Amino acid sequence: MARTSTDNKTVRSRAKAQQQTRTHLDGGLSKEDLLKLYYVMRLTREFEDTILRLYQQGKIVGSAYSGNGNEATSVGTAYALEKHDYLFPLHRDMGAHFVKGQGVRNLMLQHLGRGNSLARGRDGTGHYSDPSLRIYGNISHLGAMVPVATGVALACKLRREKSVVMTYIGDGGANVGEVHEGLAMASVMRLPLILIIENNQYAYSTPIFKQILVEKLSDRAIGYGIHGITVDGTDVLEVLRVSREAVDRARRGEGPSIIESVTMRMHGHAAHDNAWYVPTKLLEEWKKKDPIGRFEKLLVSEGLLTNQKRESMLKDIEAQIEEALLLTESSPDPPGEEAAQGLYGE
Amino acid sequence: MTYLEAISEGLREEMRRDTSVILLGEDIGTYGGAFKVTKGFIEEFGEGRVIDTVLGEAAIIGAATGAAIAGMRPVAEMQFADFVTNGFNQLVNVSAKYYYRNFIPVPMVVRLPSGGGMHGGPFHSTNPEAWFFHVPGLKLVAPSTPYDAKGLIKAAVRDPNPVLYFEHKYLYRHLKSEIPDEDFIVPIGKADIKREGNEITVVTYSTGVHWALDAAVAMEKEGVTVEVVDLRTLLPLDKEAILNSVKKTGKALIVHEDTLTGGIGAEIAALISERAFQHLDAPIKRVASMDTPVPYAPTLEKYFLPNTEKVLMALRELAAY
Amino acid sequence: MFMAKIEVVMPQLGESLTEGTIVKWHKKPGDKVRRDETLLEISTDKVDSEIPSPVSGVVTRLLFDEQKTVAVRTVIAEIETEGSETVLASAPPEAPSVSPPAIKPFTFTRPPSPPRVPAPPSGRFYSPLVLNIAREGGISMPELEQIPGSGEGGRVSKKDILAYVEARKKGAPTPGAAPSVAPAAASTIPSAPRIEAGLRHIDSGELTKKYPPPQYEILQMSNLLQKMSEHMVRSVHTSPHVQAVHECDMSKVDAIRRNHADGFEKREGFKLTFMPFICDAAVKALQQFPLVNSSIEGDKIILKKFVGLGIAVASENGLIVPVIKNAEEKNFVGLARTVNDLATRTRSKRLLPTDIEGGTFTVTNYGVFGTMVGIPIINQPQVAILGIGVVKKRPVVINASEGGAIAIRSIAYLTLSFDHRIVDGALGGSFLATIVKHLENFDENQIV
Repeated sequence: MARTSTDNKTVRSRAKAQQQTRTHLDGGLSKEDLLKLYYVMRLTREFEDTILRLYQQGKIVGSAYSGNGNEATSVGTAYALEKHDYLFPLHRDMGAHFVKGQGVRNLMLQHLGRGNSLARGRDGTGHYSDPSLRIYGNISHLGAMVPVATGVALACKLRREKSVVMTYIGDGGANVGEVHEGLAMASVMRLPLILIIENNQYAYSTPIFKQILVEKLSDRAIGYGIHGITVDGTDVLEVLRVSREAVDRARRGEGPSIIESVTMRMHGHAAHDNAWYVPTKLLEEWKKKDPIGRFEKLLVSEGLLTNQKRESMLKDIEAQIEEALLLTESSPDPPGEEAAQGLYGE
Repeated sequence: MTYLEAISEGLREEMRRDTSVILLGEDIGTYGGAFKVTKGFIEEFGEGRVIDTVLGEAAIIGAATGAAIAGMRPVAEMQFADFVTNGFNQLVNVSAKYYYRNFIPVPMVVRLPSGGGMHGGPFHSTNPEAWFFHVPGLKLVAPSTPYDAKGLIKAAVRDPNPVLYFEHKYLYRHLKSEIPDEDFIVPIGKADIKREGNEITVVTYSTGVHWALDAAVAMEKEGVTVEVVDLRTLLPLDKEAILNSVKKTGKALIVHEDTLTGGIGAEIAALISERAFQHLDAPIKRVASMDTPVPYAPTLEKYFLPNTEKVLMALRELAAY
Repeated sequence: MFMAKIEVVMPQLGESLTEGTIVKWHKKPGDKVRRDETLLEISTDKVDSEIPSPVSGVVTRLLFDEQKTVAVRTVIAEIETEGSETVLASAPPEAPSVSPPAIKPFTFTRPPSPPRVPAPPSGRFYSPLVLNIAREGGISMPELEQIPGSGEGGRVSKKDILAYVEARKKGAPTPGAAPSVAPAAASTIPSAPRIEAGLRHIDSGELTKKYPPPQYEILQMSNLLQKMSEHMVRSVHTSPHVQAVHECDMSKVDAIRRNHADGFEKREGFKLTFMPFICDAAVKALQQFPLVNSSIEGDKIILKKFVGLGIAVASENGLIVPVIKNAEEKNFVGLARTVNDLATRTRSKRLLPTDIEGGTFTVTNYGVFGTMVGIPIINQPQVAILGIGVVKKRPVVINASEGGAIAIRSIAYLTLSFDHRIVDGALGGSFLATIVKHLENFDENQIV
């Protein structure tokens, strides 16, 4: 790698960056992996920006959510999973859906509640399930999926499957009773569950200091006798590293882990909320740590991401979204009578 | 065998038949269950299938839901039906709505030891079926005899939907009868005529069936024959059975141990009025517990609960109308 | 290249929002706009937002000015697109990766609405089941009204009507299953006023000798009594009396009377009796048969163009016949009021001499005493008098032409005594039959 500057600081930081990449390359991350991580984070952002625009255009009804600023967490955590592992994502984890293999088309149709979407319009946003990809969508009640994820983890253990279950909760949601009950059961039974606490500083308009007294939410793991760690949620490689450790731990039968991933909620709680209550200074600070920007810088400095490559990736993402939009526009609404069908399984 | 033994037997048979059937609950393993329904199970099926869970109904019901989604057939036990409220959110928002939204079956059973008459007081005597009757996506069953208890638990385990199984604690050891050995099912969604009659129809379930049958014997001596329709399944209701019987007799009495206001008897009365009005020769009557929490002292509880005499009085009023 | 017109709507930026205000248009008609480029800014209760254009093209219309508040989903602008710009070079869009499973139908059936049933005149309650059985058995409302009820409050229960249907089929008399109808009104016969109590005791020489006390008591006839006695003898000597008796089914009248009893009494202040019905029928018949409304002078017949309807009233002092003047001008209520007025004033002795003059026909109701059939004496100089017997429930044969069935009906026997000098059997019979017909087919609408 040719040096282009003799500045010590630059040399040191570049060396550090090289070391990071090399660590990951040594730790089993190929060049393709790194580019894929970047691609999916970009895709997630572009997709969610499109969703927001569609909402503003009145084409999405009800509500729409974004995980802007959370891409490193959603992508990094899910990237540690294998095909046969289970994902129970939350509403700011679109990146995880993409990592697991969900297509832009399906997610677009799902958000617009079309008749040929995976939920056939019975529910919107990410509230769908796709067993072929082992994605099980959340419900609006935060924390409700943790005991269910625990149950799936139980099934894995009982059937001696090597699969693990990864689920998510927010800093506010972590206070819900069902989260505790799920963790209590998963811990004492040493179930293969990984809980990602996405601490993005705000639960709707409630800032973190009104939600908890402790510094680190991962300290709650101590109460359950399980492993807990807090990680910089804007550093996709760090997130991936600790996620892999947690997944391995679970697969070895050593029980659940809590990973607190610290980020910032860059947009409002939902598309109708412009987060006027968040101090502008806070947002500005976190903007500097934008996970995509950070990672892009790292990849560029390593020569792994050229301008040309980047442009072609963006073009590809745009094309996918375009095509998904076209498909969605021409897809029908579910017929009204379908509401009366399919209440009971046969 | 007793009503309790019939439930045990049914569960055991299903667990032998299908290895994906697992049990979850507090104290069901080593202890054999608070009421001993699962006595001997952990010895036969092992810790991998009979799980002593943590104390937490949300965890129990949620885990059952998750295990069901992942392809197992879990049977969760609430130690007392009263405690199901701690897992209410899981049941009504996750389990009940799951298939409708995701098209993935949730083949789970929640066993609920319910009912009063044993001085359990306000928190050990509830009949909570009305809360869940109102939740589309759930199925509710309530056997009144050992035969139905066995047949229904087996049917519940085999059903691909979340089934709430209301087993009455009083009937556990007070009922005993011969049950055939073979593998039989009581289909969910089908009522049973426990006694035929021509003058009055009683629509009822669980303990109500026994009050009605005893009262019917007395009424026969007074020259009035009473038909007792045992619902067996509360949701989905066997509407045809109810309506056919009322169309035959022209007079309907609904009996349930659950409290009166908003009990499922109200829905049954509305159904009869809507679909069999032309066939009614008298207003529809209900006998149920008082609208209060279940009191503890035996004299208070007796006043609170229905019984054969109260049912008999209502039948006589209907007969004279 | 084809053009397409795209409508831009006011979006709903929040589940509970119903409207938005246009704050600023970033484009005007004729401007080019790219997709996702800001088209306008809006303000809502929850948030202010920039709205990106959904398509690329040329803005053709802005439908609302700035500062206007518009309901969500209202069209606010129109954009002409260049059509093919967004067509993909690649293959057309495919179905999603997972095809959603087929859904089983979930049937919802609408319950049938029950047939409509007329209100029973008596106001008695019939359950839906009983009405159903009645309809299926071809039992009309009037017939249903006659069936005795053993149910609560005397209602016809399922058992009662089923038994009735059985009996009807067999043609047997309807079973007297626990009749809840009160026995015949033996206890309700009004006692006749004691005339002799009001007469003067006489001690009159010759007569007292012939009829001495204590075995005999001599009373002086009152004027009224003398008049009556004299009148009756003269009447019999004057008119050759012939009588015709007719059976009259008063069921309908009785039902109407009971139906309207409360309302009538509330409105008029006196009870609705049978009399106005009878009067009404008589007046109608008299108008049809004017010869019956006449008198005789030698070989001349004096036809009266008015009807003076006399109502025989039993008073303390004897029989009095006050007259409803110009009865032909009165409607049902008018007749009822007049009858009531005359009866009241008779009993309170406030009748005027004119009240008892001008009669052309008389009605006498001895049924109140329980008399079944009477043979009254004509009130001279009239040529006929109508007597009404007791109204009593009797078993009769109905639908005789279709084979017949036994029913219970309110029956009364009407007698017409008439003067055979001018009224022969044919006329008398027809006249009486006409009255009966009016009564049996009384139009309820006359009451109100």
